[in-house]
Amino acid sequence: MREPEADSTPQSALIERVRAGELAAVARLLTELERLSPAAPQLLAEIAPFLGRAQVVGFTGPPGAGKSTLVNAYIKALRAEGKTVGVLAVDPSSPVSGGALLGDRIRMNDHTDDDGVFIRSLASRGHVGGLTPAAVRMIDAFDAAGKDVIILETVGAGQSEIDVAEVADIRIVLNAPGLGDDIQAMKSGILDIADILVVNKADLDGAEKTFRHLLSAVHLSSIKADTPVMKTVATTGEGVVELAQQVLGIAASRSETPKTRRRNRARRLLAWAAADMIERRVSKRPDAGIDAVCDDILSGRMTPDEAAIELLKSS
Amino acid sequence: MERNMSEVQLSSFPPRVLVTKIGFDGHDRGSRIVASFLRDAGMEVIETAPWQEISQVVRLALEEDVDVVGVSSLSADHLLMPKLMAALQEAGLSHVKVVVGGIVPDDDEVMLLNAGVAQVFHPGVGRDEIVEGVAAFAAQAREQRNGELVT
Amino acid sequence: MSDQAVQLPLPGFEAVRDEWRSDYDDQMGPALNPKNRSGIEVKPLYTPDDWNGDAYMEDLGFPGQVPMTRGIYPSMHRGRTWSQRQLIGLGTPEDYNARLKALIAHGASAGSLIPCNSVYRGYDADEVPAELLGTCGAVVNSVDDMEICYRDIPLENFSTAQNDPSPFTLLALLLAVAKRRGIPWNRITGTSNQSDYISHFVCNHMFFRLALPGARRVLVDHIAFSQKHLPGWNPLSVVGQHMQQGGATPAEAMGLTLSTAIQYAHDCEARGLDPNEFLTRFTFFFDISLSFFEEIAKFRAGRRIWQRIVRERFGATNPKAWRFKFHGQTSGVDLTREQPLNNIARVTAQAIAGIFGGLQSLHTDSYDEVLSVPTEQAARIAVSTQEILKDEAHLTDVIDPLGGSYYVESMTNDMEEKILAVIEQIDAEGGMYAAVSSGLVQRIVGVSALAHQDRIDSGEQTVVGVNKFKVPEEDEMPRQPLKPPPADVIEAQIERLKRYKAERDQTATARAMDELSRAAESEDENVFEKIVDATCAGATHGEICQRLRDIYGFGDPLIVP
Repeated sequence: MREPEADSTPQSALIERVRAGELAAVARLLTELERLSPAAPQLLAEIAPFLGRAQVVGFTGPPGAGKSTLVNAYIKALRAEGKTVGVLAVDPSSPVSGGALLGDRIRMNDHTDDDGVFIRSLASRGHVGGLTPAAVRMIDAFDAAGKDVIILETVGAGQSEIDVAEVADIRIVLNAPGLGDDIQAMKSGILDIADILVVNKADLDGAEKTFRHLLSAVHLSSIKADTPVMKTVATTGEGVVELAQQVLGIAASRSETPKTRRRNRARRLLAWAAADMIERRVSKRPDAGIDAVCDDILSGRMTPDEAAIELLKSS
Repeated sequence: MERNMSEVQLSSFPPRVLVTKIGFDGHDRGSRIVASFLRDAGMEVIETAPWQEISQVVRLALEEDVDVVGVSSLSADHLLMPKLMAALQEAGLSHVKVVVGGIVPDDDEVMLLNAGVAQVFHPGVGRDEIVEGVAAFAAQAREQRNGELVT
Repeated sequence: MSDQAVQLPLPGFEAVRDEWRSDYDDQMGPALNPKNRSGIEVKPLYTPDDWNGDAYMEDLGFPGQVPMTRGIYPSMHRGRTWSQRQLIGLGTPEDYNARLKALIAHGASAGSLIPCNSVYRGYDADEVPAELLGTCGAVVNSVDDMEICYRDIPLENFSTAQNDPSPFTLLALLLAVAKRRGIPWNRITGTSNQSDYISHFVCNHMFFRLALPGARRVLVDHIAFSQKHLPGWNPLSVVGQHMQQGGATPAEAMGLTLSTAIQYAHDCEARGLDPNEFLTRFTFFFDISLSFFEEIAKFRAGRRIWQRIVRERFGATNPKAWRFKFHGQTSGVDLTREQPLNNIARVTAQAIAGIFGGLQSLHTDSYDEVLSVPTEQAARIAVSTQEILKDEAHLTDVIDPLGGSYYVESMTNDMEEKILAVIEQIDAEGGMYAAVSSGLVQRIVGVSALAHQDRIDSGEQTVVGVNKFKVPEEDEMPRQPLKPPPADVIEAQIERLKRYKAERDQTATARAMDELSRAAESEDENVFEKIVDATCAGATHGEICQRLRDIYGFGDPLIVP
């Protein structure tokens, strides 16, 4: 809840600095929201009035496809149009140590003296579900800071990364030649969320083959049939302006309001949170109630659907 | 808003460390190895290409909200450290701890410590010593920072 | 002894061998064999089971003849010992000139030039932080600077090695000096030591100035130019040292280096150059680690593989093109800061491995290199080490003295197999250029670097003074202070450069730089020729690098996490 004297709290002071474009304040807000600090609830309340302006563009694809380099080039194209950019670059954490090497910035080095670009690396930390809400809150932080475009870069390697990718308004899925069997290299599920498919490193041998593979995937799979397939060479910038135009075109063709976009993200969060909750409930052992429901399913007294409805009601 | 209690609290988040190189030298095998074993010790390590400008390092430390900056220096690039320390200070990042690893002569080590560098790790220092040192500095940095937290 | 090759079975061989084996096992228990750095298992004893001389002609032959295992010249170190090459740099052009003259007074007939790190990165002194200038090498930016470096030194009779990555501005400045002095370019002799841009892209990032396509273009142009104008110049040294110092195992380093050389040879062929000509100018540069027998085997195997590659893949018929000429440098990676005098022993063992490996030239590290720029005394010990090995220990009396050793021959064969596997892996990726573009090579090197560090940290690989036999800190040597040139000297150097830039013929310089741009953007002109023209007209090192960076892109290495 917002307190009557909200304007004088440290939280509101921070948000004021964020709104004024102070980099340190944006950095701070990102951290507070990522880690869901004690200050986070009020911070979220403070930024609520400013949200919904930004366009969230997701880049995902297998390791080695050149995501960071393409993002670097895409940022350049956006800056040429005068748009401000926030980047959230997600890298996987080591499942063993919990640590992470966050190296995406190595290839986004062209923008460190440009105040119109803010890049933050984020470790996936192996959170089941936890990564996605954190990423969504951080997107809101960039939104509150007035970024026109927020880029979300993820490795299309695991379900949690695909979940994160899904919260973008426009999702670009890229691949490159030479990454093994092209389509198989891309996790199933990752193609399905694509609004645009990109063959990066299009100057390499085999790019044409990858391009044709993606085209046929569009025709054969559950991907929308009108999904564009484009070619880029991120290192030279070839095809990147066209990609930016394509993103704009898709955005223009969508009728959803900013509110709807944010609501869509919330909808995804809700679905995952609910699924997590049910999962935790069902896998808890021992649980006599769940055992009884399972026996009912086994004996045919209830269908699994009916049992699930009962479970949802009682949760 | 109700908090999801399955998420961890601020203090339990892994240390965030920027591992970088300034100046001209490009021998980054050492810094990559250090980055790998900090990762293996559970830290989040932001890596960069070599030859970062002072202003770039400051910007990275700021954007990534790191606890520790580790600078690897093999030839003479550590001579730029006083400039980096001053620039971090000016950017309001005085809580960030800075360590240097590599070949640093004794006289220069004194100069670096005077400039505010927290520690110099010389060649041959074991990985445990580096990990423990960096972890301790990260904890200090976070404590200092939490002191000025907005809550 | 009879002239016949050893025949198996030798009378009683198997019975006695089995008896030894069982005695050995009794003493040792079920201990596992260790592996060398390249991952080859090292047995406790080698016998005719492992190598028996039947394949003598196929495996070894004779020095100077195919398959070159025993050496690339008929007389090897008997005829001519290796040349001693020590690196010098430091300070201003005047400082370099003084050091060089001192070396010549001690009998040197060749000298290499190490430029300042600012030069390595492609900048002039007036565009970098002044506190870093001259701390690691000489500040050389203009033809005036180069003139001072070689003041009073007859360039027509003096071989120089330029540590000069693409776009080879130091050589261009040297040629401008020669032109000023009226010395014909065909009298200029020496080597471009740092022309292997692939090794820079992968490992020695400091030297990587231009993005890959530009670096590739300028190298081939440099080789073509040298072939045409500089008969005494070796334009290409393929640097295995960087791969090994970057963390590759000795076998990987050799394999990756040979794959790199294959790539360059293909690029030269594509440029229309003749393998029988350009291959004679290829030279190699390797790290010599402390893994003594492994290093010897690495060099012997490398020689054998290279002669086969040049004959089979490039159809070279000129026997001179079959020679695997290499310079060896004792590895600084194995030296320790702890108890640094121990490094003298390490360098000695490394040097012996290089000599037995059949090198053509040798640099021995100073024991204090890991602490600072070498002191005079340490540098002298490093040179004396070579003299002692040669003249007191008589290491050069016999050609390939370990040839025929069961162990060395077996290890040479094993290393050959490992090296060939690396070359095959790179071939499968589409060659070295493709393999470094995709990051494959960086991954190979990175994984091995970590594995080696793990072996040291776990104590599996002993490092005296580091993970074993440590001494208290106070017994260690102090870390020598850096002695950068005084600030006023550096200031004067920067002033001189500014004056040079102000006073030169601006029209001629601008015209030459325009020509350079045009050539660099063209498909077929020789870019290096225009670089030489530009230095002659007055352009500086930093200006040329900047122009080419603008056209080809900045030399960002590909870093694979």
